[in-house]
Amino acid sequence: MQRRQLLKSIASLSAGAFILNLPLKALSATKQSPQFVNYKELFNQALNNSPELIGFANVVDDFPPQVLSVEGKIPADINGTFYRNGPAKHEREEQRYQHLFEGDGMLQRFTFSDGKIVHQGKFINTPKYQKEQQAKKFLYAGPDTPIQHSLPVSSSGMINTANTNIIPVGEDLWALWEAGSPTRIDTESLEYREQIILGEAGKYNKTLQGLPFSAHPKVEANGDIWNFGLNPSGHIVLYHLAPNGQPNNVALINTRYQGGMLHDFLMTDKHLLLILPSLKMKHSSDKSRQGFFSQIVFDENIPMRVLVIDKANLTLKKEYELPAGFAFHYGNAWEEKDGTIRFDASLYPDVDVLHNLSNMMKGETNNAHTKAQTAFFILKPNGSASHVLLDTTSEFPRVCNHIVGLKNERLYHLSSKHDSLWSDTVCALNTNSGKLVSYDFGKDFLVEEHIPVCPQQKEGTGYLIGTALHVPSKRTCVNIFNIENIADGPVARAWLSHHLPLGFHGNFKIS
Amino acid sequence: MKKTSLLLTAITSILLTSLVQASDIEFEISGINSDKGKLYIQLFKGEENYHKGNAELASVVNAAKGSTKVIFNNVDQGEYVLRFFHDENNNGELETNLFGLPVEGYGFSNNAKPNFGPVSYSEVVFIVPDNSNTIINKTTAIY
Repeated sequence: MQRRQLLKSIASLSAGAFILNLPLKALSATKQSPQFVNYKELFNQALNNSPELIGFANVVDDFPPQVLSVEGKIPADINGTFYRNGPAKHEREEQRYQHLFEGDGMLQRFTFSDGKIVHQGKFINTPKYQKEQQAKKFLYAGPDTPIQHSLPVSSSGMINTANTNIIPVGEDLWALWEAGSPTRIDTESLEYREQIILGEAGKYNKTLQGLPFSAHPKVEANGDIWNFGLNPSGHIVLYHLAPNGQPNNVALINTRYQGGMLHDFLMTDKHLLLILPSLKMKHSSDKSRQGFFSQIVFDENIPMRVLVIDKANLTLKKEYELPAGFAFHYGNAWEEKDGTIRFDASLYPDVDVLHNLSNMMKGETNNAHTKAQTAFFILKPNGSASHVLLDTTSEFPRVCNHIVGLKNERLYHLSSKHDSLWSDTVCALNTNSGKLVSYDFGKDFLVEEHIPVCPQQKEGTGYLIGTALHVPSKRTCVNIFNIENIADGPVARAWLSHHLPLGFHGNFKIS
Repeated sequence: MKKTSLLLTAITSILLTSLVQASDIEFEISGINSDKGKLYIQLFKGEENYHKGNAELASVVNAAKGSTKVIFNNVDQGEYVLRFFHDENNNGELETNLFGLPVEGYGFSNNAKPNFGPVSYSEVVFIVPDNSNTIINKTTAIY
């Protein structure tokens, strides 16, 4: 063991290599004093008077397979599996996370077969979840939640909750977070397999290990996967993956974006669009606003920027400035022959929605009603830009899978007509005529993302499928709409015997 | 007599110097995950040298799964820092990802761990006093 070499300097031991400039630093709540507001107590008190908060309640265990009770008739040509993901482990012991985005991910699987639907819910057994499950308490500080005596965090993989989206890739499922690697899930058992090191077997070796990989990859009709990952320094890594998940090309660009959070992006047939909202990080002296999300603020003096990236070589080609704004989600983008780029957004006037998702964790619903509106943007080749804002509130916009990056004539999204805590309405917008068709679930429902399922790969055909939580009965249902007649209501509705936690995103894999 | 006196003085001086200054540092690294590659270990004296990357001593040993001890002999009294990395692919470099974070094993004296950022000097520094024979410092590898 004493094969000692008195080397004053070893070239390979460069000082720089040990400077751990962790991008995770921005995700830390460790500088905060311990929780002085009891979120768990406040939430549970509020839940007694505001039953609609049930969607944010903690989930203790997995949900075993259950055949759902069906109203109506499930169309015979729907065969496949609807996967959803979202945070569900919000509490351990007396500690409750302070932001909705912090909870450990739970997968919901709805298997459609022979006119029946079977549901199963399973926590994603990430390294973080495994350790905390064993310890029966939170061990790591969350982005907003300080934990006393929390364990040190030296890599994103240690705190990756895999809680935002779920996509099929090859024979596997990938559960997605946005600040770390995709998580491989076994399609059959829903068991956690590993945090994926993209390109490890090829030339990238481990250079992509632990890099941020957004929860909103765009899958082209040929199966190619495009995505980005934000480092809070403003550097963004861009990914072009083959349909099996192997990297074709990866590049890094410095955007100088200092907003801390970038959730979604867009793609045309030729370009990627990184839309950088009017956000910045601002330290607050308010002790209740010391966490990562708490410090993200809107600045009306910062224009939104659109970075147009050439898909052929992942380099910046052009940049546009838009009026100040913020969006979590975008529906689709496409290009005209002359190079004009068009895209839509669920556009917020500020970033209050982010902070409301923290307030709701302690049961506050008074300010939970900041709504986004559908906006259509036009970027001209001469560098000019314009947009139109529709009256309808809008979130979770989706288009048919086969049309991503191409001209879409239908845009499906949620809306809110009852000033509800979540959404209560599903909409189909004809982007040519402007005709909006909607179905109002009523004020008793909290409606989650609904996705178009188009087996014929033709817009205007197929089904719109999504979940909704019925507050009075504390049950969640899956709703199947004929996509051509959404206003008629669901053609079938399948009920669980209980409710599911409100989640974020999902996808349907056709058998 | 004069020669004898000088010789005795010299011997005494050497012995005293040896007694006062000569300490060994034993760095015990556990949690090495494989026998592949080598461990590169550096010893720094003082904060400035640590921050500048000017190692006082360095050592390279073959990696062995589990625990490894590395000994630095005849170290003067003072403040010291140890750090190492596990060169798993044996290319002589600490591999990092595109954002500069290590993707091979590494660690620091005092078992200090980065926490959403680099370790601080105060977390990794240890003292070699003037009256010690062997200082033992333990750490576990971070992968």
